Amino acid sequence: MAASINLSDSERSSPNDQSVSSRSSNRSLRVAEKERRKNEAEDPFVLALKYFSDVEAGTPLYGNDDFERNLVLVEKVAYSRGLPPEAISIMLEFAMSLRMGSAPCVRVLKCLIPASVVPQEAVVRAVVWLGVGKIPINTQILFIKWVLTVFDMIDAKDQLRAIYGFIFSYVTEENLCPFICHLLYLLTRKESVRVFRVRKLLELQSKLGRQPFLLHLLSLYKVFCPELVTLSIPSRMRSGFRNHISPWKSALIAVQKRNGPQVASSMSLAFTTMDKTSSRKRKHCHLQIPALRPVVNKEAPADQSSSRKVVPLVQIHSFAQLLENMHRIELPAQMGSLLGSSLALQYLDCVQDESALLRLNFWLGYTLHEEFLFCGDGGATQNSEEALQFLNKLLSAHHFLQEGFSSSEAFLYKFLNFWDGSLLRPQILGLLSNIPVVPSSQIGRLLFEPLMQLFFTSSLFFKCGLMECLNNMLLKWLTWHSVYALEDDLDISLNSHTSINMTLSGFKDSVMELVRFVGRLASVGLQIEGCHSLFLSFVLDFYETVCDTFLKYGLPLVVMPPSGVFYPALLATDPISVDRLAYIMHRYKVNLTSAKAQEKQTKQAFHISRQTFHEFNHYVVVMVSCLWNSKMFQPGLGIQLGEELLLKSNVPQYWASFDLIHHPAFMSYAVDFHQKCWPGKKDMDLSSIKHSKPWSWYLEYLFTQGYDGLKQFVQSNISRQLTAGDGQGDTQQR
Amino acid sequence: MERLQSSVVRTPPNSTVVQRRSKSYRQSYRSCLGAPSRLGLTPGLTARRLNSSRRALKSHVITEKVNPEHLALLVKTEWRLSYVTPLHQFRHTQLKRYSRQLSAFIAAEKQQGVAMEVEGSQSGFRVSFSVVQGLAATDDDAETVLIQIYSTPVFARQDEPQKSVWSGWLTCINGNPEYLQSLPKGFTCLPLFGGSGAEVLTSLVKSWFQRTFDCCFGPLEINHTSLQWLAALWTNCHTESNLQHLKMIWTLPVVPPLQVTYTVNPQDAWELWMSVRKDRLERTEEEAEAGSIDIEEVVRFVQGLKSHFYRHFRLDLSAGNLNQVSTTLGSAKSSGKIKISNSRYMITTLTLLTECALLKMPI
Repeated sequence: MAASINLSDSERSSPNDQSVSSRSSNRSLRVAEKERRKNEAEDPFVLALKYFSDVEAGTPLYGNDDFERNLVLVEKVAYSRGLPPEAISIMLEFAMSLRMGSAPCVRVLKCLIPASVVPQEAVVRAVVWLGVGKIPINTQILFIKWVLTVFDMIDAKDQLRAIYGFIFSYVTEENLCPFICHLLYLLTRKESVRVFRVRKLLELQSKLGRQPFLLHLLSLYKVFCPELVTLSIPSRMRSGFRNHISPWKSALIAVQKRNGPQVASSMSLAFTTMDKTSSRKRKHCHLQIPALRPVVNKEAPADQSSSRKVVPLVQIHSFAQLLENMHRIELPAQMGSLLGSSLALQYLDCVQDESALLRLNFWLGYTLHEEFLFCGDGGATQNSEEALQFLNKLLSAHHFLQEGFSSSEAFLYKFLNFWDGSLLRPQILGLLSNIPVVPSSQIGRLLFEPLMQLFFTSSLFFKCGLMECLNNMLLKWLTWHSVYALEDDLDISLNSHTSINMTLSGFKDSVMELVRFVGRLASVGLQIEGCHSLFLSFVLDFYETVCDTFLKYGLPLVVMPPSGVFYPALLATDPISVDRLAYIMHRYKVNLTSAKAQEKQTKQAFHISRQTFHEFNHYVVVMVSCLWNSKMFQPGLGIQLGEELLLKSNVPQYWASFDLIHHPAFMSYAVDFHQKCWPGKKDMDLSSIKHSKPWSWYLEYLFTQGYDGLKQFVQSNISRQLTAGDGQGDTQQR
Repeated sequence: MERLQSSVVRTPPNSTVVQRRSKSYRQSYRSCLGAPSRLGLTPGLTARRLNSSRRALKSHVITEKVNPEHLALLVKTEWRLSYVTPLHQFRHTQLKRYSRQLSAFIAAEKQQGVAMEVEGSQSGFRVSFSVVQGLAATDDDAETVLIQIYSTPVFARQDEPQKSVWSGWLTCINGNPEYLQSLPKGFTCLPLFGGSGAEVLTSLVKSWFQRTFDCCFGPLEINHTSLQWLAALWTNCHTESNLQHLKMIWTLPVVPPLQVTYTVNPQDAWELWMSVRKDRLERTEEEAEAGSIDIEEVVRFVQGLKSHFYRHFRLDLSAGNLNQVSTTLGSAKSSGKIKISNSRYMITTLTLLTECALLKMPI
């Protein structure tokens, strides 16, 4: 069904030239074929066809050996290769004109297996014969069934559409009616729907009762002209038209198989259900996405010609059609229905109409409020399965459009104050990560306050989820900035059309607020959760985004992690975290250096504050002296402990206890390296790795284990003097 | 609406280019934070509240302005309330057409699987839409729309008139002008819906509106505060028209649930009310003129009633919920049912309810 509508719509766009061209091309094909045939002189099949085209009316049938012989010949060709278009025309004409009576009709119709296409003229002529001859009713039905079966192979449909009224007149024939309705269904276009036809069908309905074929045709009429007819189809009747392929099925499949894929498949005539709304009754049904329906009361019918050409979105079934009709698509009656299909979402992305978006937001906001905020009896918890599906659908729409809807944003600000942090957590966090930049003056009240409460009272997994969500949020903000701000010459104010004029500094403030907020959350979270490595990993994800804001997203803003994040990562017991920290510090350095270079070059005044450089240098010094120079706990560094206390701990060489050899995260590598380096050695002296040569081997060994972050950090921050006895650290930044 | 249109005209012509490019984020920004200029009430940011002060129920003599038939219908029934998001492309001039469409829709839904001609006459149900002129209080308010559904009884005689089986209305009285003006052209805000009749018909009417005007219906409860307001406002009218009684129903969350019906002599209520009213001298000239009532006075009034009850029955009603208030002027239930018995006080009551409905708007 989809295929047939597809076809008809593509024709509708340019009914004249296209069909003409296709016809002429068919004709030239046919001429060529004819010549080929001539060369194969005296082909018995050609002779047989000639017999059927020339046979005179009234020729007796019984005892006519010529007829029998020729028909068998045609049948043989038909069942093996299928009939060429010309043969179809001849045989159809022969059968429907009743030149040899009605007896051979059925036999001929049954062998009309097209090899490629069916010429439209033949079908039109045959339909005309329906009105002229005295064809028995069963044969008439068989003929219509045949047309339905080969419908997609008919080379054009414009002439068939032109005789729509003529075909329509057969609906009064009780036996033909179901099949005629089906044929009309395939041919109907907006201009075919007329009041008198609607009345005729309704009259038939009152005579025949509720017949599925009438209803399906009428429901199509309703799609085109909802102002003329209305109906609601009960669920048990939704299956659509039956297909009538049976008399030709096996032969058609065989021929199509033989002829390969060049023949358009006509097997899928039955159309899919038109209205998939589940009939399940429930108390709160607001989570249902409305069905796509055309608008009943059309706006501004002043320009008749243009309003006639609009295509209701319901009628669009493929992306190709969408592209073709993009300029004249009519929005559906309920904007919410756009969320229901992916094709409609494609269109939504192009909708510029403000009031259409407002309609969508009203519906969405209403739905979310009713389900999650107004429902006194715990509506959301009661039917969480449906809520889940709904939110997933909303999320996928968000992802598709790469932005959130304003009503879901407004909803979230309210909902965060009621949320327990566990109901539909992945979905809510997903929606949250889609909210657009919040002005820094409001971000605290709208986001941070409720999130902080949730964060400190929830489980580790919520904390990890929230961290991921905030990371995604930041990523989206930064992406938005990199796409839009650069065009506007570092100013994001989107002139009078936006209601919020966000300047670059405003945007920077918001991002800064967010990063600082996450820094606070992460510091306290790491303390509460005992520096859980899963949580630490999410925190480091966030800082991997933060450290690259300048180079990746062009935002002249560098924010260093607080020490509550830096030290837990540096002193972590898993090597991955230390490695990632090293990578992050490396990226900070790259960003800062290039920001500085650019500042010098363009003389543009975006200051990355001295404070930031200071913090960065401090962290680098700490890292180098801790991992490399074995100078932990020296005065002036971040971590200071009393001398007596350190001595009391009885740790030998405590200053070296966090270098790359003795660091708890890397100790196992050091041991492994030691064993490989000095296999025979009984007593293990890890400090011996500290010597120049084994040290550089050890580093190589570590780098081969995949610690690229460490490698980059070492390469960019430490200039090694190979001659020196032990590693020499050197950092230079401002 | 007018204001909005003119601002569109003033937009500089080069804006279209910008519009295309930044459409996507324009959309987000218009969002809820852009609300001040878009949709007056910034739901996400400022918690909308009921007005903390309102004018006293003034007896509006609307009998002269409003069709008496309509008025009689409005006052004699108990309505179940809903809030409605703004209607898209609703035209007060198309009511005849809507009548036909709705009656065909109802007929089609009632007889699943039978198609109906929209323009034809249905035998089953007849729907009439009409405008209730004269109810709208300001220019921003859209005119009230009344919907009535008639049906021929199954075993009716030939000449028997069709019976009204359902009625309902959509209204907006003294709606927040900022909100109303912020709606773009093409939207009609009639936020308050009341229906009375078979539930099936109510839901059919609602779903027809949803499909036709892309709006949404949600139940409108009358909350605790609004009920208190009504109690006070009605009491305030005692001198003009006798209340006969002030009846309140409270439910207390104990096991088993306890329901308290508290009926107050109108004269006593009036005296209590007068005693909690602000000292006349404190009032500015203006306030006195407008006859404005403050939320504090309402709270004090209800508190007075509660402490009186406590003195007699040792039961603190503060722990419970006010569920229903009724006087001869009308009755209101927290479930969202209201009956306005006296047309003179209809405007003020509907103003309060319109306010409640607007509070429920998602945007």
